[in-house]
Amino acid sequence: MEQVSVTVTVNGTRHERSVEPRRLLCDFIRHDLGLTGTHVGCEHGVCGMCTVLLDGQTARSCLTFAVQADGAQITTVEALGTPAKLHPLQQAFWEKHGLQCGYCTPAMLLTAVELLSNNPSPTRGEISDAMSAILCRCTGYQTIVDAVESAAFAMKGDGR
Amino acid sequence: MSTPAVKEHPVTRWIGQSIKRVEDPRLLRGRGKYVDDIVVPNMAHAAVLRSPHAHARIAKIDTSQARALPGVLLVLTGAEASEVTGPLPCFANPPVMQYCIAADRVRHVGETVAAVVAESRYIAEDAIDRIVVEYDPLPVVVNPEDALTSSGDAVLHPERGANNIALQRTLTFGSYDADMARADVIVRRKVRWPRSGAQPMETVGAIASYDEGTGKFTIHANTSMYNYVGWLIAASLKVPAHKLNIIPTLAGGSFGSKIFTHKVSVLAATLARACGRPVKYLEDRLDNMMSCDNHGSDRIYELELGVKRDGTMLAFGMKVLDDYGAYLQFGVGHHGNAAAQLTGPYRIKSARVDLTAVFTNKCQQGAYRGFGSEVNNFALERIVDAAAQELGLDPAEIRRRNLIQPEQFPYKIPTGNVYDSGNYEAVLDKALEMADYDGWRRRQAEARQQGRYIGIGLASCQERSVFSSTEFWFWNHEPGFALTSSPESVNIKIDPTGKVFVTLYAPFWGNSPETMATQMVAEQLTVDPADIEITYSDTDQGLMGTGPGGSRYTVMIAGAIGGAAADIKRKLLKIAGHCLEASEQDLELRDGRVSVRGTDRGMTIPEIALQAYYFRLSLPADCNSGLDARFTYDHPYTTQPSADRTDLGVFYPIMGHMCHIPIVEVDIETGRLTFLKYVAVHDCGTVVNPMTLAGHVRGGTVQGIGSTMYEHFYYDEQGQLITANFADYLIPTLKEAPPNIEVGHVVTPSPFTEYGIKGGGEGGRMGAPPALASAVEDALKPLGVRIDSLPITPAKIRDLIRAAQGQQARPRPGR
Amino acid sequence: MKPAPFRYVRASRLDDALAELARYGDDAKVLAGGQSLIAQMNLRLIRPAVLVDINRLADIAYIRPDNGGLAIGALTRQSAVESSEVIARRCPLMAEAIRYVAHRPIRNRGTVGGNLAHADPTSELPAVAVALGATFLARTQKDQRTIPAADFFVSPLTTALAPNELLTELRVAAWPARQGWSFMEVSPRAGDYALVGVAATLRAEDGVCRAARLVYSGVGSRPIRAEAAEQGLVGRPSREATFREAAEIAAEHVDPPSDFHASAEYRRDLVRALTRRALLAALERCEKGA
Repeated sequence: MEQVSVTVTVNGTRHERSVEPRRLLCDFIRHDLGLTGTHVGCEHGVCGMCTVLLDGQTARSCLTFAVQADGAQITTVEALGTPAKLHPLQQAFWEKHGLQCGYCTPAMLLTAVELLSNNPSPTRGEISDAMSAILCRCTGYQTIVDAVESAAFAMKGDGR
Repeated sequence: MSTPAVKEHPVTRWIGQSIKRVEDPRLLRGRGKYVDDIVVPNMAHAAVLRSPHAHARIAKIDTSQARALPGVLLVLTGAEASEVTGPLPCFANPPVMQYCIAADRVRHVGETVAAVVAESRYIAEDAIDRIVVEYDPLPVVVNPEDALTSSGDAVLHPERGANNIALQRTLTFGSYDADMARADVIVRRKVRWPRSGAQPMETVGAIASYDEGTGKFTIHANTSMYNYVGWLIAASLKVPAHKLNIIPTLAGGSFGSKIFTHKVSVLAATLARACGRPVKYLEDRLDNMMSCDNHGSDRIYELELGVKRDGTMLAFGMKVLDDYGAYLQFGVGHHGNAAAQLTGPYRIKSARVDLTAVFTNKCQQGAYRGFGSEVNNFALERIVDAAAQELGLDPAEIRRRNLIQPEQFPYKIPTGNVYDSGNYEAVLDKALEMADYDGWRRRQAEARQQGRYIGIGLASCQERSVFSSTEFWFWNHEPGFALTSSPESVNIKIDPTGKVFVTLYAPFWGNSPETMATQMVAEQLTVDPADIEITYSDTDQGLMGTGPGGSRYTVMIAGAIGGAAADIKRKLLKIAGHCLEASEQDLELRDGRVSVRGTDRGMTIPEIALQAYYFRLSLPADCNSGLDARFTYDHPYTTQPSADRTDLGVFYPIMGHMCHIPIVEVDIETGRLTFLKYVAVHDCGTVVNPMTLAGHVRGGTVQGIGSTMYEHFYYDEQGQLITANFADYLIPTLKEAPPNIEVGHVVTPSPFTEYGIKGGGEGGRMGAPPALASAVEDALKPLGVRIDSLPITPAKIRDLIRAAQGQQARPRPGR
Repeated sequence: MKPAPFRYVRASRLDDALAELARYGDDAKVLAGGQSLIAQMNLRLIRPAVLVDINRLADIAYIRPDNGGLAIGALTRQSAVESSEVIARRCPLMAEAIRYVAHRPIRNRGTVGGNLAHADPTSELPAVAVALGATFLARTQKDQRTIPAADFFVSPLTTALAPNELLTELRVAAWPARQGWSFMEVSPRAGDYALVGVAATLRAEDGVCRAARLVYSGVGSRPIRAEAAEQGLVGRPSREATFREAAEIAAEHVDPPSDFHASAEYRRDLVRALTRRALLAALERCEKGA
């Protein structure tokens, strides 16, 4: 099958590859680029595990072809924090027990990043609206809302 | 085994602390390695052809076009696979034959008919499209009541008999008929619990490779019982057990559904051996929903409860028809499980279970958080509510009058199981207080005046923990392999620098094994959690480990760590005593240091360790070099069932308890629910980490809400699974969850476990369904609506309201 | 669940896109946001031979004032509609409805044109378009035409568009002064396809209804306008009792499907409840002069 060339910047690093047009962005990120922090849950756009930031906005990478990301900036969970210092959202999820199996966690974190970049002081209702885009089977969600609320507070304090 | 000695529980430093989870940092950074994240060099990819028919003979399969597709390495039919790979393991006796690829017949929609291995999953799926199958459809059985009278070609397993009855047996406990005869009122109720399922966000997968040089398989898998019965995979593959090594990966959720996923591993390994390359098979979501072999319980109950006028419960009986689906991997172990707490927290003296399990053309049942006892909780609480209604008693009051009292523990229930400890009235009172029950009854009355429908639900439920393997077989007419072991092991090593290495033989799937083990080892050895390293062992190095499930892991690993740590502490004291020239009775281990009591003389653990590893000639004569210990901890209290099964023995005695009080408002025009409040009080004995336990309470509650209101694996008359994707199978989103589940704890330690811990992993799912059903029923009480079947969707609530209001569907003009 | 192979063509200009559609006809599908398309392709429910990627056609992504109303380019992302101040002011019904479309990540990629051309009978924007009496601009390589919303939606997943025709713009007339509005929807879970939705507008003066529109999603093969119910409102006092009657007429008027998620009777229940509630909300907004 024909291959199409794509140039994608992921977490600040430029990648040039040749891909089949039908290659899903989630598979490109996970297998072609080896960034396995973005997960796959349903491949029909409902669960949200595959969420990435595409040009700064959340997108389901299972509902995007890699070729559509040509020229785009993608952020995945691997861009958040460092081994020495977690991102405030990661720190908050850790403190508030916002994860159990960890499978939805990258998607939750990036969804929260988008929320807080548009709305640094969200109400619990606004947090709930935003975070409801991603399924979680483990936590019952409450501690996820707690974590985002806590991170928002911490991030404002840091002037972030 | 007689009743174990009661354990004394010391004051603790780490047990009881809500430390941040040890597992989290790598998960938060997206560095957790789940099975699909693992790359084995030269790995190929598999996909499966799913049967479009619910029941059919496979007449002919033409794989030629599929094999001709560039990039395809192998296409395997069931007939071909069964030449080299035997049936899958099964706990039922006699076993029900199931193969990793259906050979001559398919028995449910989605069952694997053929498998393809290709260079990519994309190509594998292209090849799947090119396989041509001729089916001879057979009669489809979907309704479990129809399964009772199936005959001829409608019989799924004709080698077992002429019908679809998988098992039929009545067990009676205590003087059931006499107790029923004494009752003032026999309350009756029929309830329906249809199948939902675990549906974790990660599906099941395996990467198998076969080394032609050694004849050995290596499998990376997200399954659980690898160090318990992993060798059964080797048996299916027809290789000796030591020619298989299973390496556990992290699992993205399980809730039981990854306990025993031998089919996927056997399939991947069969394909790897056949094509000569490592093969990854990862279920996609449709594979998982249709063919996970882990649908939840699917039951019709006819219940009866014999009561006195004052609400005293005497006897509880049921006729239960269980729709097991196409196979029977766990036998009817789900009813064994339910028997552990059949009569709930009540002083009911006798019971009867008339069980019929049937085969139908559906995915088989497996494990889902509760393993069948959450369904018994639902049934029991529904009939208790019916009794309250009939006798004119408040739901809390009827329960209070029947609760087992604190001084009665350990308490033997009619089935023979024992409840180790509890204070059920304290849990009820705490829940009522947290919920402001009286205040809400007043608000409810006011709301009714305003035409609003507020409901207060209540359920008092048991959460048994730490299963014994006897529950898998004691229902069988012939036990078969009557196993009685379900242990857990650990290996602890202190290295020359004093760091502690702990090896676990069971996986992570969202439970917190590393955190639990860290807290316990820190407690036992008085070391800092930061000095502890936890790893997971494969089966080559593996000691016996039954794994998480039945809320057992924390209790069992506590016992194993207690045993191994005791050995290590003994050696630490022995070496220190020798080096310090002090008697061991004068020594104490505190804050990572062994010191002579009343002096400042001592040695730190690193100092002792260094001696232990390198200075043999400075050690006591009977000490060998090194500092490590392993321990296999058996179930602390298991006994055999009686031959006639009037007493099932003690098999699940570590008994937790909960009381859930949801308060809801029903919009009677739309049938939709709003949560006004949700209180969940749990007693799981000594709590290792309150924060992670609350996580199981909340997460389990929302799963329970899912099964109660949203989730249903619905098969139509042709056996097609209508809810076969995430758009139609409705897992609760954040918006469907109660915004604030208020968690309360009561602690009655277990007398039989390390630290008095009881398992709490199954959490809120054990009690949320009956609590929520009772809330909706309570809300709609003025309309006389009864909730007897799940899921309680808004559409169903409207149907019930409409029926209760006597409204007929309006005739449509011209139609 | 990987899609079947397809030929990929990326258009950088509208003319190129139209030429490709002319060339491939029935064999081609337009790839805009892809939020419906790619899901169906992953499930192998559809296997288009060719995808024409129009995501580079910046020329048809815009929100512009137009004759007091609005012109919205078909490639406008749904999230841009959600955050648009001019839409909030000039077409508040759309601003309210857009928030019900799936979830934010879907709206970030999904387009107005894609949603309308997909013509799912449970979708929000089609019902809104019919309620507003909007017009659609459609172009082929050679032609351009306007299609009124009432004629655009034919049957489930089928519109009046020809295979070689591309929807380029949605045009909405000026919002009448003092018109109240409400969009309400019931779905099984937050963000799911609707069971029933209602797009309602109401203009009342001195307590008497002068104009009303009631358009439903989820009750038929396309957006269904309840003209009989609207007529039951116009010229009569705008208050709960009248709204209740209108709701009853609307519930009688529709012939909703029965499926696994809801019976026809339940959908009628929802029409009844949502109509009354939406009219009350619209009245309140009308009176506020919002």
